[in-house]
Amino acid sequence: MIALKEASLVYHDHGKDVFACREIDLQVGSGEFLGILGPSGSGKSSLLYLMCGLKLPTSGSVWYEGQEVPRLSDSERAALRLNTFGFVFQHPFLVGYLSALENVVVASPVVDRREEALELLVQLGLEEKLHRLPHELSGGERQRVCVARALLGEKRVIFGDEPTAALDHKTGLKVMETLNSRRRGGSLVIVTHDPSMLEQADRIVRISDGELE
Amino acid sequence: MVRDEEVARATRQRKVNVQKNPLNATTYLVRNLGKSLPLASVIILAVLLICGIVSLINSITLSIRTIYSNSRHFAAVTPRGNAELTPVLREDIQSKSPVPLARVMTFRSTDIEVKSIVGPWPFAIAALGKEDIEFFIQRSGGGRIEGRMPTPGEPEALVSEPLARNLGKRLGDNLLEPDIPEAFSPLPVKIVGVIHTSEWKAVIPLEYHQNYHFPPIDSLLFFTQDPRDQRQFDLWVEEHLKGQNARVFTYAKLEEQADTMFNILYQILNVVIGLLVIVITIMMGMLINIHLSQRVQEFGLLQALGYTKKALLTRVLAETSVVVIGGWVIGIFVSWGLLEGVKKVLMDPRAFALDTTDRLAMVYTLPVPITIFIVILVTIGVKFKKFDPVGVVERRLV
Repeated sequence: MIALKEASLVYHDHGKDVFACREIDLQVGSGEFLGILGPSGSGKSSLLYLMCGLKLPTSGSVWYEGQEVPRLSDSERAALRLNTFGFVFQHPFLVGYLSALENVVVASPVVDRREEALELLVQLGLEEKLHRLPHELSGGERQRVCVARALLGEKRVIFGDEPTAALDHKTGLKVMETLNSRRRGGSLVIVTHDPSMLEQADRIVRISDGELE
Repeated sequence: MVRDEEVARATRQRKVNVQKNPLNATTYLVRNLGKSLPLASVIILAVLLICGIVSLINSITLSIRTIYSNSRHFAAVTPRGNAELTPVLREDIQSKSPVPLARVMTFRSTDIEVKSIVGPWPFAIAALGKEDIEFFIQRSGGGRIEGRMPTPGEPEALVSEPLARNLGKRLGDNLLEPDIPEAFSPLPVKIVGVIHTSEWKAVIPLEYHQNYHFPPIDSLLFFTQDPRDQRQFDLWVEEHLKGQNARVFTYAKLEEQADTMFNILYQILNVVIGLLVIVITIMMGMLINIHLSQRVQEFGLLQALGYTKKALLTRVLAETSVVVIGGWVIGIFVSWGLLEGVKKVLMDPRAFALDTTDRLAMVYTLPVPITIFIVILVTIGVKFKKFDPVGVVERRLV
């Protein structure tokens, strides 16, 4: 489904080349739950952004379903992220002036999925907070809204960049459980430094200094 | 059971009652009034300021045109240096006129001072024969007469309502008096009639003027048969008498003189408005920049989710359009309301002219929304060009 072939990502930092990812070969199968484990600064987030097309490799290639992602135009990559990928970031980013329900609906601007958004929030225990603004929600509730947003529609891959980092352990496990159980056959790629969050993963790869171990 | 299902469905419907696309052009503006209102207010105030200044300055030339608008109906010719020239001029003009003439009147005049927003202005009271007064009133649109027409030879006057209002006179008051230098007549001239019309005019009997006023020079008023030919005749008579011992007064000349007189004032006005537009545009550019910086997280998040730069740019521009166009439209309405107030309280009691829907004033306000829109377009374009959503979701930029 997703394949990285000798993919590298180099940053230029004060005249020096810094490898965030170095010649990574990795594949994610359809419906697979892949965990990427690594300490802070190991390049695991960069690897995730390479996989989802938010960053382009400086060398090597990234493929999704037979399409070479870097060869897609900006708008094609954006469409891929919007329609095919779901995202949960480390911080529960929401649009501040939209309600919880509206924040989920924004993930599907073309197709009307208001009913489905409502269902997801109800399933995630937020039925009483559908019309609350983000500042009226707790951190855990905000992250659950982000989870609902990532799951909305027919997403083929859900990417999580440390989705539990800002949560307590118990809530983090709940979020992971929700993501895993509601992905409806889609793949799940989770980056974390906490191995306990990957208990349900089909496969775990470790990254250190931008290289897979 | 069926009832329960209906209630459940209704509850559900109510809960899901959000817009299909919450990110439309007005959501942000409506839910962030604390931010969007100051932006619109700057535009409203700018439009108000410009519209007000231009309308008030235009009221000066409008006043000239209004006060002297009765001269649209005739061309006045006065001999120079030799009072005996009047019949010669009459014969010459009548025989050579390019358009048929309806009437040629002998008239004399005396001046009074009327109030204007820039101080006292001279105003000519026409001394005419009885039938000529009737013709003149008919030609200049008629109007209901309160009181009566002046009696030939008597110190009596007929004035129009706006002129009476400007002078603070009523029926029965004296229009001219022996001891008032700016409204002098050897005998008190009483207002015996007020004609209700928008035009400014005052007439006294020709015989009274001939008997009591100086100098003893008869002038001429020429009225064309078809009022639509008057302007053509005016231009012709000006050209025809150029270099001769005669002075010509026409409405066309008055307009030309007014335009020349206020040309420098309008140039100064252009500079002031230009500076105002620049200052406001810079201010708006800075405000918009601050607002966009506060929304970096939103734009980064949406871009990371898959919204294209073009989609975000389009949305921000739609929001901007609502603020800029809305601010301009409200500004125009507020200006109109304020000018109506000024007109009612300050101008109307003195019969001063003010156009509260002055088109030129509205045109002067157009650079405000246009330049602001361009500045915002450039600011947003630059911001979005190098925008990195990963920086936002990794919290490097927020």
